Amino acid sequence: MRFLDWAVVVVYLVYVIWDGIRMTKHSGSAEGYFLANRSLPWWAVGLSVMATQLSAITLVGTTGQAYTDGMRFIQFYYGLPLAMVILCITVVPFFYRANVYTAYEYLERRFDAKTRSLTSFFFLMSRGLGVGVIIAAPSVILSIVLGWSEVATIFAIGISTTFYTMVGGVQAVTWTDVKQMVVIFFGLGVVMFVIISQFPAEVSVTDGLRLAGSLGKLETVDLSFDLTEKYTLWSGVIAALFLFLSYFGCDQSQVQRFLTAKSVSQGRTSILMSAFLKIPMQFFILLIGVLVFVFYQFVTPPMIFNPVEDAKVSQTAQYQTLQSGFNAAHETREKAALAFINDQNDQTRAAYVAADKGFNESRKGAVDYVKASTSNSSFNDVNYVFPSFVVAYMPMGVIGLIIAAIFAAAMSSISAELNALATATTIDFYKRHFKKDGTDREYVRFGRIATFIWGIFACIVAMYATNLGSLIEVVNKFGSFFYGSLLGVFVLAIGVKRARSRGAFFGLLFGIASVWVASNYTNIEFLWFNVVGCVVTVVAGYLISLTVSDAAQKGEGE
Amino acid sequence: MGSHETKSTEPVVELPDEWWYKVYVAVIITTVVVISLLWAFSRYFSS
Repeated sequence: MRFLDWAVVVVYLVYVIWDGIRMTKHSGSAEGYFLANRSLPWWAVGLSVMATQLSAITLVGTTGQAYTDGMRFIQFYYGLPLAMVILCITVVPFFYRANVYTAYEYLERRFDAKTRSLTSFFFLMSRGLGVGVIIAAPSVILSIVLGWSEVATIFAIGISTTFYTMVGGVQAVTWTDVKQMVVIFFGLGVVMFVIISQFPAEVSVTDGLRLAGSLGKLETVDLSFDLTEKYTLWSGVIAALFLFLSYFGCDQSQVQRFLTAKSVSQGRTSILMSAFLKIPMQFFILLIGVLVFVFYQFVTPPMIFNPVEDAKVSQTAQYQTLQSGFNAAHETREKAALAFINDQNDQTRAAYVAADKGFNESRKGAVDYVKASTSNSSFNDVNYVFPSFVVAYMPMGVIGLIIAAIFAAAMSSISAELNALATATTIDFYKRHFKKDGTDREYVRFGRIATFIWGIFACIVAMYATNLGSLIEVVNKFGSFFYGSLLGVFVLAIGVKRARSRGAFFGLLFGIASVWVASNYTNIEFLWFNVVGCVVTVVAGYLISLTVSDAAQKGEGE
Repeated sequence: MGSHETKSTEPVVELPDEWWYKVYVAVIITTVVVISLLWAFSRYFSS
């Protein structure tokens, strides 16, 4: 990183913080602070919806995933457009016309305060820990790539985002999201252009894609129906559909986005923007990972992409032996790749595929060596592929732009999450249980304090999460335990007339318990947990509701 | 919680449901077309 790169990063950070803070003038009232007075245009809300979902780890992780596994991950998003259509028909007009601040507020109107508090509490717990992980993941990577301490990157991302979110509220979140999306798209566009320009003169983009395609890295549709396979057409269209319905329709961090729109029509249009753009955008991000893979067919890649772990073992004799083998395997693969490009037939293709297999075995040997030497069996350097490539091969200025884009992706997600956490804390707990007749000023002040506390909490979680891999796993599992079951409660609320508060409350607990059983006693992939949780919650909730008479329900609701 | 700020005085225009149903059908058709194009992209470069 040279001066120009640092200048780009600093200009980005200063501009975003200033842009967020200047929104204070629109945030005097509670409705202004939490819902932007329901006045935002559809395109700003739509970009904010996309920015919230696109975290830094999505940006960095999926490019790395495309490098190693290809584009199969794109199937995860195939259910998203259908989910958005279902949400446009159901929850968007429902929540908007109910004039609620949080999704959980509606559950008290339909069921009771207990169900509202329980769902909001689960949201706060899972999201509170989740924001810590959202901060931790890019912080670890950026600290290694930039040479900063982890605490410095955690605070650069966490505190700056907390500050403008706390001061400017949802207006700051949305309008900074818009600019952050511009930075992300512009940065990625420049990277794609630069990668392609660095291909050898005799290798065209088509040749590069032919190389990747011959190794199965451009696979975008897998029709096999296998519940133990993470990414197939069916896991995307069915299992991920449930996840997206829950995430976009029941998670406050997304519900709050469309509640800020000017009207139901604008709210619908904003989420349909994702329906149209999400798959092409993800294709574009994954394609960058594939192009990095093609680039490394003609330039020797690092044997280990994580420089810190690499430095721990790189002086040993065994490492040097592995490095020699790795370099030889790369040379063999490079020659095979050029031979295949110059004369595309079955023989050259088979030779290239065999050479790639040899190369992968060579790298696997090195990764296994790092795992054994560092006693870290979960070592995985996929997330370092893209940042290490950017720092090593991008020209001056572009490195800063990409680092700014990674910051932007992290901050856009964190700000929306903090804002949603503060809103749920203020509306579902402070206003509901402690200060029913408070003034706007009191609610806004409490919202700011809640944002600050959640921001500090997230930074502390992030500091621990960087050292405890298992915590990240726990948080992800906890989220997947909750999402399907939460969706089940809203299905009961909106779609099942006979549903009663006791059914919804215990149905939610049954749903979470069923996911726990599925995760511990079956091999099904986590995406299917959302289906399990939702179905069990709805069925259990309905059956329990049948045992509740109308008179008893009236008593419970009071 | 009333707002202290001035809301936009522009009338809120809601589009009719019939229009939205056409949009939903367009979203589904577009998704099928996009997935088909991605599948064709994979086939073309892997064959």
